[in-house]
Amino acid sequence: MKFFSAFRKKSPWVLHYNAGSCNGCDIEILAALGPKFDLERFGVINTGNPKQSDIFLVTGPVTYRSRERLVELYSQIPEPKVVVAVGSCTTTGGVFRGMYNVEDGIDRYIPVDVYVPGCAASPQLIIDALVKGLDVLEAKSKEIEHPFKLFGTIEMIGNKLSRLNMAKKVEQHEKN
Amino acid sequence: MRKIETSLAALLNDIGVFYVPKEWHFLSVNGIDLGGGKIELQWIFSKYGVKDEIVIYYALSDYDTPVPSIVDLIPSAIMGEREIVDMFGLKVDGAAKGLYLDKDSMKYPLRGEA
Amino acid sequence: MKKTIQIPLGSQHISLLEPIRFKFECENEKIIGVDADVGFVHRGVELACTRSFEFKQVGYVVARVCGLCAITHSLSYTLAVEKLLGYEANDRIKYLRMLMVELDRIHSHMLCLAHTAENAGFEALFMQIMGDRELIMDVQEAISGNRVQFDYISIGGVNRDMTPELTALIHKNLRLLSDKIDALIGLFDNNWSLSLKYKGVGVLSLKDAYTYNALGPLARAAGLATDVRAETNDFPYETLGYQMILESSGDIHARNFVRLREIVNSMEICRNIIDNLPVGEIQEKAKGKPNGEAVVRVEAPRGELFYLVRGNGQNMLERVRIKTPTFSAIPAMMEVFKGSEYADAPAILASFDPCMSCTAK
Repeated sequence: MKFFSAFRKKSPWVLHYNAGSCNGCDIEILAALGPKFDLERFGVINTGNPKQSDIFLVTGPVTYRSRERLVELYSQIPEPKVVVAVGSCTTTGGVFRGMYNVEDGIDRYIPVDVYVPGCAASPQLIIDALVKGLDVLEAKSKEIEHPFKLFGTIEMIGNKLSRLNMAKKVEQHEKN
Repeated sequence: MRKIETSLAALLNDIGVFYVPKEWHFLSVNGIDLGGGKIELQWIFSKYGVKDEIVIYYALSDYDTPVPSIVDLIPSAIMGEREIVDMFGLKVDGAAKGLYLDKDSMKYPLRGEA
Repeated sequence: MKKTIQIPLGSQHISLLEPIRFKFECENEKIIGVDADVGFVHRGVELACTRSFEFKQVGYVVARVCGLCAITHSLSYTLAVEKLLGYEANDRIKYLRMLMVELDRIHSHMLCLAHTAENAGFEALFMQIMGDRELIMDVQEAISGNRVQFDYISIGGVNRDMTPELTALIHKNLRLLSDKIDALIGLFDNNWSLSLKYKGVGVLSLKDAYTYNALGPLARAAGLATDVRAETNDFPYETLGYQMILESSGDIHARNFVRLREIVNSMEICRNIIDNLPVGEIQEKAKGKPNGEAVVRVEAPRGELFYLVRGNGQNMLERVRIKTPTFSAIPAMMEVFKGSEYADAPAILASFDPCMSCTAK
């Protein structure tokens, strides 16, 4: 598998999901993809498809309604994968910490590899984080990574891995 | 800003007489918890092309009295009505729960000291 | 057999910046019914403004309702509290606040134009507009210290002053941008493939605009003359060259043109502000605790932003009601979708410039 990882490092594809942020970090990600900061010179393309992505850019403090989508998207990305938490509220909850519909940061749900501080995180920092994420991506293996809090597991159905049960609907959830 | 008192029973009639689509812009429905189980409901309008002309119809109510829906007069009021259903747990005809809140969210967040 | 098919769009989709879910009821390619779920980003800002933060801090909290129009949120909250404190800012503060609001409008409209171009399948134009937009982002960073989420406005004034170097930078960048906007106007007007995607698509009629209380560029593209800048006395817009921009056809093309012409008008206002900037203090004492009820309307890039603040003489406020532009525009948006082709849905959606984090707070 050494063969593919060399190429993967040259063209990491990015999936972007907004889990309840204020848009500030999202428009900075767009600006970073734009001509001035030009993230695309690292081979980065913003895809809308989790199954083709390597790096998961998440913004926002995870609202209640976006929890299942976040975990679903995370579990659909093939390994190896890297999660980058963009912005203060994604890493700690930021200004939204303690509000009633918010889960103070994404690391309650999925393992995070790179944290980006800042409200809003500047494009320079986002580029730095992605480049750092590339090193993490190279060191990772194909071992399956699990979300922390999830409502089901990966199962073997026949001789195939099934992720169908991973993002089961949460009925009762306790905020810790 | 002009505040006009009305009541839940007289609301549909008052707004039906007052509201002319080409003159008035409907802003929103608003609720303010006054404590002690009382709530002040506001229907806010502004006039097109006139400076600083805002009219607020307000009515006092409690949590259990059904609130009449003004959607038949003003279709865009549906958003504001769904919001007060979620935020204060009021009953409004035709406004469904769940615009913002989930099953395990805090119930009626804007009610007094809930 | 059922004659219609349901097609979902969202909550995660390549054409969406933010989570929103649509359920389109389609008959062949034609959309005949729409259902939207807009609550994905509900965080609970309104409650936190009255329970967790004191009134002096709330201005910085409400800025985090939305990153694109953060400055209008903190401006309307600040104006409402200043009305309760019985304080009126001097002319220099007013001018500086207006300058930031207009700069914010320019960059927000450019982002929307870029996004509409991308969703119509014109990736190169997206890159070009995003590149031009950096001219304004540079100015904002130089004035306030941050690219987005600049906490520039505080109760009683603004946090940074204008210097001669900044004035020169603003003039230079606005001059550069002016040529590029002229070229863009030509492109949006004459490009054949863009006209296929935009002209006659996603039409909101004037009658529907009145019925559904459309606002902002959505209403002005349909010919409904409503603009909070002309309907309030808080800022001297008329003396600084403000003009209401109206189109009549109500389609995506008209909305793009309202935005382009508003950018031109906003640049004119910015130039007038920095050329005629009065002298004075940039921070004054606003003493006391807010008591009573005040309403404020400010024209955000997407339309009318409304704040109702009620205080009772304490440090904590009683109620902060935030009514955001996209929140009231959603019924009108759903109306536009009906009758159009499903393939046009992403471009129509982008042309509304929806802001979900505003809507759900």
